[in-house]
Amino acid sequence: MYDSNILISFMKYLLLTIVFTVVSQLTHAQNAILISGKIIDETNQTPVENATIIYKNSYAVSNSNGTFELRIQPKDSVQLHISHISFKTKHITVNTNATISNLTIKLTPKNNALSAVEISVNGKNNQQIAPLISTNVNEAFLQENRENSLMQTLSKIPGVSTITIGSGQSKPVIRGLGFNRVSVVENGIKHEAQQWGADHGLEIDQYGIENINIIKGPASLLYGSDAIAGVVAITPPNAPLPHTFKGEVNLLGESNNNLLGISSGIQFRNENWYYRGRVTFRDYADYKVPTDRVQYDSYIFELDNNNLRNTAGTEANAAFSFGYIGDRFKTETFLTNVNAKNGFFANAHGLEVRTSTIDYDASNRDVDLPYHTVNHFKILNNTSFYLKKHTIHTETGFQNNLREEHSEPVPHGYMPKPTHSTERIFNKNTYSFNIRDVYKPNKNHKIVAGINTEYQNNNIGGWGYLIPAYTRFSAGAFGYYLFKLTEKIQLQAGLRYDYGYYNTQAYSDWFPSTVSNNNGTTSYIYQQRATGENVSYNNISGSLGVSYQGKNTTYKLHLGKSFRMPLANELASDGVNYHMYRYERGNLDLSPEESYQIDIEATYKKNKLEIGISPFVNYFNNFIYLNPTPNYYETLQIYEYTQSKVLRYGGEVFAGYEISNAWSANASLEYVQSIQKSGPKEGFTLPFSPPLSSFFSLAFKAPKEIWLFNNVQITADLRVTAKQTEIVPPEETTPGYELVNLSILGNLKLFNSKKQTQLRVKVNNLFNTKYFNHTSFYRLIDVPEPGRNISASVTIPM
Amino acid sequence: MLLNKLFQKASLTVCCTAILVVGSISSCSNDSSEDNDLTRPTISLDYNNGFPQSCAQLQRGETYTFKAMVSDNDELASYSLDIHNNFDHHTHDDQGVQCDLDAVKSAVNPFIYMENFTIESGLSSYEIEITLTIPEAIDTGDYHCAYSVTDITGWQSRTSVDIKIIE
Repeated sequence: MYDSNILISFMKYLLLTIVFTVVSQLTHAQNAILISGKIIDETNQTPVENATIIYKNSYAVSNSNGTFELRIQPKDSVQLHISHISFKTKHITVNTNATISNLTIKLTPKNNALSAVEISVNGKNNQQIAPLISTNVNEAFLQENRENSLMQTLSKIPGVSTITIGSGQSKPVIRGLGFNRVSVVENGIKHEAQQWGADHGLEIDQYGIENINIIKGPASLLYGSDAIAGVVAITPPNAPLPHTFKGEVNLLGESNNNLLGISSGIQFRNENWYYRGRVTFRDYADYKVPTDRVQYDSYIFELDNNNLRNTAGTEANAAFSFGYIGDRFKTETFLTNVNAKNGFFANAHGLEVRTSTIDYDASNRDVDLPYHTVNHFKILNNTSFYLKKHTIHTETGFQNNLREEHSEPVPHGYMPKPTHSTERIFNKNTYSFNIRDVYKPNKNHKIVAGINTEYQNNNIGGWGYLIPAYTRFSAGAFGYYLFKLTEKIQLQAGLRYDYGYYNTQAYSDWFPSTVSNNNGTTSYIYQQRATGENVSYNNISGSLGVSYQGKNTTYKLHLGKSFRMPLANELASDGVNYHMYRYERGNLDLSPEESYQIDIEATYKKNKLEIGISPFVNYFNNFIYLNPTPNYYETLQIYEYTQSKVLRYGGEVFAGYEISNAWSANASLEYVQSIQKSGPKEGFTLPFSPPLSSFFSLAFKAPKEIWLFNNVQITADLRVTAKQTEIVPPEETTPGYELVNLSILGNLKLFNSKKQTQLRVKVNNLFNTKYFNHTSFYRLIDVPEPGRNISASVTIPM
Repeated sequence: MLLNKLFQKASLTVCCTAILVVGSISSCSNDSSEDNDLTRPTISLDYNNGFPQSCAQLQRGETYTFKAMVSDNDELASYSLDIHNNFDHHTHDDQGVQCDLDAVKSAVNPFIYMENFTIESGLSSYEIEITLTIPEAIDTGDYHCAYSVTDITGWQSRTSVDIKIIE
């Protein structure tokens, strides 16, 4: 407890410092000045909506009239950065001795489909550090590329892939690592669910998201434990402009799983108060795969009409937020609830391969056993104080994740037949509080210091045991320094200290097992699966980086050390994983995972050409790995959590070219290689290693209106993925594949030329190719990826 | 400006070196991964002495020797035998034979046999021989008999067969 005492006194000290700074600054802070104006398209003088106007950490977004308001600290002259998905980025310098109104900014259209993924150098996210290698994804990209779940949408970005579970759920994978090695952060608070689980999907509504920042590398400095392979940070949407109202309804239909989806959102603002609301509802049937039969572990299942039985589901989400913007103060409180019910492929889930009396093929819309339900409730608050040279940000949150897994009760081993279908219940509460101070003594220096704290309480229920109930407290204090050496060169250095404390609860089986004693007698005992334990950790992480931004070139070099606290299942599992048909054993002696990574990024942009390369080398001192041993426990193969040294390297290459005003082409390549350098699987790769994959896209943007449509854009994508022969037990090698997708986007100008209805038709897997995704949960049971899917979506503004 | 130039040169050099390093690491380590054991062991009941065969009927109180052939490209490690009831018809057999099953019923005192064994080190083929007596006081009816085997690397193979235990 010596460590925690030091930490508590340090936190007290830091808190006092921050409070003192706030008070002293509030007393003599200057009023911010206001810049307002209008953004227009230089070709036709029409207003441009959704352009982002950035100055340092302040930003604004133009509304449907093209107007914007930006509040900044007074200064002689400032350089504004104006960007928009469909226009070329513009920099203008304005004199700010007084308030500026009626500023008119003209933008030049561009014709580059994939440029929605802009490598941001000085993005709008306050937490972002310039030399940190990250990718910014905006609302337009999300709308144009929307797939069934958020991570599937983002998997178009080189280096980002996804583990999918059926058609409606997915979780992020960055450069081959996923689960608890990627942090998902929403409005500054880490999303906490059962992300270690193989059949868990991310519980976040992908509608209503305006901006996502993806860090492909170690980011524990900012985000603490788990941000070891990367971060998907969903940043809060921009505040609406004063006295505006905006709303939209989005309708979606899909052919492959007969999905019907509706999402509707509104936002409005008075002078200072603003409100947002959104509801989303989706219902889908079993999805279709281009095969008649699935062969798994020498059993053969015939599929009815290509339907992967019992993979239907529903999702109903609601979100509400209210905020207040004052002169030197901004606060917004978000309430969200995501609720989903998903069926699991009935033939390969649960205790063992079984036939059932359930008539799964009676309807392809119903959800029978096995299935799970999940409800994720969040209440988050973001508050910022804008002072003269300091900006204080706080993020406070409570979230509850309630997940239930239901399957047909069956006897197994010494376990008699349970009386109900509730196999597992996880009920997890997470309380978080973050505070940080951004101090800018002048334009060349920036110092950020902060504290992250989190308390988790995870309860379990049901007849199937996998992880013990536990409570966990963690806290970290960090500081970093960003220094502009010249106009083009920035340096950054940061350090962080974390402390974590676990308390796991004892668990014993609810049924007796037969145990043969040494003296020849037999006992019937309730076996203990977990003992009550207290474990604590501490860790130092850090980051060092440099960036150079020239006229056409950008270079970044970043060196980071990240860590991850072991999870309760890694520490204390001791039971049958019924879904994977194996015996899993934890290890209380596991130390926190530590990872070192060097990242480089070089981009070149001139005229119509843009190329980029981002290689990395990564070394894990003690990667926690679930190792399949050659041994048995009650006739089930024992898998043990062990730690080994792991070397990983790879990277992405990207090129984009504007062939003409109408045509543009993009290509990218991603590659990761992982090798275990010690331990029982020395020489082997890691599980779920993504194969070499490339992506090509050709886009045509109609220069003129076509009938009732304008901004018509047709895109054809080709993904070519190599075979994956680097496997580790119990995986199978996965053959390579080529996949073609088509999409047509357009704006329908029916009644209102300012508020145009957006239409999108998309064909995924055009040729109905049968292929396997090496990183899909269903790959292990030999289920191919979905067949052809035609989706149509309409977004109607109000 | 001189600093900028210098930096540009330096970063270019670092980039190129990194790509070369990554390239050379990948070319040499690819060789080592080819030595990895990527082959599962095999398990077979499909030979003269294999026991039990599909739809075999075993009598309570009798003693039987369960036999299966296992082999591996490298080295075998462990095996297990699991006999459990199929009173609810949950289908296990992968021998390609459809046996006649009794009506679905509830278990009262079902026979459970679960044992693990290790294979002495250094063997790449082995015949499993497990002698066991079916107890007198257990439920008769449909059962499954599931064998599994692992190799030294941790690869596993399983096979199972439908049997019936009679009076």
